[in-house]
Amino acid sequence: MKITFNINGKSQSVDVDEHTPLLWVVRDVLNLKGTKFGCGKAACGACTLHVDGEAVRSCSYPIKFAEGKEVTTIEGLGEGDNLHPVQQAWMEEIVPQCGYCQPGFMMATAALLEKIPNPTDEDIDNNIVNICRCATYYRMRKAIHRAAEIKGTNS
Amino acid sequence: MTIFFLLLASVTLLLANSLTKKDNFLANENTETTTAYDDPFSKMMKVLTHKRCVNCHPSGNRPRQGEDSHYHNFNVLRGADNHGVAALRCESCHADENNDFSGVPGAPEWSLAPLEMAWEGLSRVEIAKSMLDPKINGGRSLEETVKHLTEHELVLWAWEPGVDAEGNPREKPPVSKEEYIKAVKEWAAAGAIIPEK
Amino acid sequence: MSNNTKPKNKSRRRFFLKAGLGTMGVLALGTYVFRNPMRRKIYELSETLVPPYNGSGTEANLWFEMTKENKLIFHSPKVEMGQGTFTGFAQIVADELDLNINQIIVKAAETDTGIIDGMSTGGSLSIASMYQPIREMAATMREKIKLEAAKKLSIDASSIKTADGVLTAEGKIMTYAEALAEVTDWSLPDTPELRPFSSYKYIGKPIPRTDLKAKIVGEPIFGMDAEMPDMLHAAVIRPEHVGSSLKSADTSVAEKMPGVVKVVQMDGWIGIIAESFPQALAAKNKVKVEWDIPTVWTEQSLRDYLKIGEGDKMITQKSGAELEEGGDGVIDLEFTSPIGAHAQIEPNGAVAHYKDGKVTVKLSTQVIGITQKQVAEALNIDTENVNIIGTYLGGGFGRRLDTNHAAHAALMSKEVGKPVKYFFTRKEEFQNDMFRPPTHHIIRGKVDNNGQLEALEHHYASGDVAINAALFPPVAGTVLGTDVGAMRGGNIMYKNLPNYRAVQWHRTLPFATSFWRSLGLLANTFAIESFIDEMALKAGKNPVEYRLAMLGDDENQQRIRKVIEECASKANYNDKVSGNKAMGFAASIDAGSPCAQVVEVSIIDNEIKVEKVTCVMDCGLAVNPDQVRAQCEGSIIMGISAAVHEKMTIKDGRLFPIIYGPYDMALMRNSPKEIDVHLIQGVDVPLPVGEPPLGPIGAAIGNAIRRITGKRLTDLPMTLA
Repeated sequence: MKITFNINGKSQSVDVDEHTPLLWVVRDVLNLKGTKFGCGKAACGACTLHVDGEAVRSCSYPIKFAEGKEVTTIEGLGEGDNLHPVQQAWMEEIVPQCGYCQPGFMMATAALLEKIPNPTDEDIDNNIVNICRCATYYRMRKAIHRAAEIKGTNS
Repeated sequence: MTIFFLLLASVTLLLANSLTKKDNFLANENTETTTAYDDPFSKMMKVLTHKRCVNCHPSGNRPRQGEDSHYHNFNVLRGADNHGVAALRCESCHADENNDFSGVPGAPEWSLAPLEMAWEGLSRVEIAKSMLDPKINGGRSLEETVKHLTEHELVLWAWEPGVDAEGNPREKPPVSKEEYIKAVKEWAAAGAIIPEK
Repeated sequence: MSNNTKPKNKSRRRFFLKAGLGTMGVLALGTYVFRNPMRRKIYELSETLVPPYNGSGTEANLWFEMTKENKLIFHSPKVEMGQGTFTGFAQIVADELDLNINQIIVKAAETDTGIIDGMSTGGSLSIASMYQPIREMAATMREKIKLEAAKKLSIDASSIKTADGVLTAEGKIMTYAEALAEVTDWSLPDTPELRPFSSYKYIGKPIPRTDLKAKIVGEPIFGMDAEMPDMLHAAVIRPEHVGSSLKSADTSVAEKMPGVVKVVQMDGWIGIIAESFPQALAAKNKVKVEWDIPTVWTEQSLRDYLKIGEGDKMITQKSGAELEEGGDGVIDLEFTSPIGAHAQIEPNGAVAHYKDGKVTVKLSTQVIGITQKQVAEALNIDTENVNIIGTYLGGGFGRRLDTNHAAHAALMSKEVGKPVKYFFTRKEEFQNDMFRPPTHHIIRGKVDNNGQLEALEHHYASGDVAINAALFPPVAGTVLGTDVGAMRGGNIMYKNLPNYRAVQWHRTLPFATSFWRSLGLLANTFAIESFIDEMALKAGKNPVEYRLAMLGDDENQQRIRKVIEECASKANYNDKVSGNKAMGFAASIDAGSPCAQVVEVSIIDNEIKVEKVTCVMDCGLAVNPDQVRAQCEGSIIMGISAAVHEKMTIKDGRLFPIIYGPYDMALMRNSPKEIDVHLIQGVDVPLPVGEPPLGPIGAAIGNAIRRITGKRLTDLPMTLA
């Protein structure tokens, strides 16, 4: 089945089985490896990306539903060479350790800040439920608050 | 001291209450073979009190999931619009259909029933009453309620619940879809009478 | 490449490293444990010694490669799995080679470079064991570059100054790359004197991780991201039941599924090779498999099998008299810990290409040399014909110390004549992990008239940690009798006690158990430090002072004392309960790094909340204090996860759960909002960092809960009734 959608601002057509998870189209067909496979069960959040601005766990999102939509991955989160405020904050706080889960966390955080520009600790607890085995949560929390600051200053 | 005993008593009552409610809840599942429950109302309620329905009609802000109706993993919350919180929407994981790759169930408008329609812990009579009360059922007439119960895709998902994370089929309600639809319509046509028990 | 310092032949002419106790050396010494007091002492020391690098490829010119752009590639024998080792190595190289850190690219060495780490990346030893050798090699390479520049410029080498990859002398200037251009004679000078510590610009500074940007923008650096041209994708079927084996399989339906290229039945597993991963996975679900299940294990049968009194007994520590079980005034407390999963987010897997008797494999591995051997053995070829390319790891935690799956990918590639990539599904990860073994502990003590302990014994039962590990030769287990991994944290650290001992019971379990970050430390410390706290409470004494009274005077004991005192002081430790809130204290020493922690716990809605953790650790010289802090923070939260959340169980012969969520782990909401880390530099060399902070956390939480609820929780994960 041919499916056409926008990925990181560019139109893209793929011809795959309609049930193929969006994750595998992004990773293996479009070769954007920043979106990670962790569990394949929408449990860990490593595959989080945006579909029409909403955080979506792409391992559980059949490609057919992407038709005509705007998909954003970590590669398209910033604008050109400019890092997104979330990425900037992640740099400032030196968040990643192994780094594998971090794109999923950054995508979830970016979606959160669009809805709640200044999240409280409770907002963060309730919205950011991805899993980081290195357990970088302490720095992530600081980075989320910092990202809100940077984003607030920029806009 | 008196206050302490009062507190103790109320806690005991609360506990007893919740246990009884749970027993009622379970009773609906365990009596499916009893002929006394073969009337249309009973058939309908066997479905509506099944975990496939009640898991997403929680009495609090946390949905339940699975055959043992545990709280939804990862502290998933109801959110303002019953579709989850800002960056953790129901739609973040649940699509318009079941996903055999992930074992994540899905259907159109996947979301929680509004808090007014909380069924968790209620008896079948209480559930039925709430269903018919336009003040809490979203202003639905009987006709509209029947339509919702027999045609809405999210309701009918219960008979196509897909597979779980391990690839095992989810349990379906104890009454077939056809029988259930027939029972709902018969019960409504006969005046939508709710028995005392 | 003209200025490539890598020689074509991988001759190993020179060893800069002084011979010393390698890992194997330590093990060999252990052979004679307890036959005499001297050896017993050595054995105890083996717990705290940092073994030097004992891999192959110890020539400086194998490790460094200068590019034409005047960048230096450092071929690291250790891999980067989040612990910040690459950053630390870059700092060390920069300071001795006079480079700007931005000029250094650290890469995991392929086995083809000749640098094969004999020890693995693990044990918190990467920086600790490589600090001296890398400085020596970098200094030697700096000298070599100077000599080559001197020849080219016809000047005296001693007059040359080096900075930021540039040589200057007598008004002349030359880059390192220019100096090394067209060099063919790679004989190396003697190692010069190392720079004085005060001249270091990077070592000891909290500089940002060098891999930060790549990890922020999502670069394809992990094993899961690796590809090879024209590769196929595979899924594998493995046993789901503990101890089961493949009886028969019907693959006929799967073979006809879209995209399927071949289904192969191998020894104990089935590979489904297809054009895409989703296709392979869909076909996998259509294979009908029958398993041979000789014994259906249950949680109870496992507990009956693994307990004190069963299996091999080894006294791992003794001083003074033994307590009599049930004797007058003898107190016993029993503790358990569950099976733990690694649960690293990047699944195990590999992409391999078999062609003309040679294999190339790209994967996340902590044991590049063992991976190479395993692949060579599985394909019956020489190790020289196997090149292992290590990638960045999406978490290690000990899970990638055995990578037999690399061989599976290579075997499948041989079957289809194309590169094959495959990885574990999450269910396979959870059911075929090399788990942290469950443990059983009895702590036995007796107090004097003042309530202070006069005797303390730790009896502990564990499944395999080091025994049967791919990392050690098979003989290690049988010769030693003791599992040196299960022993971590198992011995009593309070040497002022008149009588103390530790007794290990070991049994190999019916499922694979192995290294899980900090090994035995987590559960052993939980048991010992909970018991000590209980005794302090019984005696009505402050638990910090109670511990200090048990410490002796030698250097190591002083370091533990300092960490305990500092932690109590920084946290303003007090023994009071305020409502649903209390502090808990615990300490441990692991691999030479003592660590103490104070936790502030509250119980809200019957949930254990760790609000704040104060952590003081003496890990010697912190090459990168920021990354040491990061390791403490991560270890603490991983420890909370293990102590309060995580548990695998055996149900009807299968390991459960098979997915995150049901395998409950600490999330953002379970992480303390305050983690206050203080580092003490008790010695001037780097010591292990990445595991020691996992010691105290469990007991510290339990000790706080004991104060709030009055109840001593003795089983991990701790749950409130």
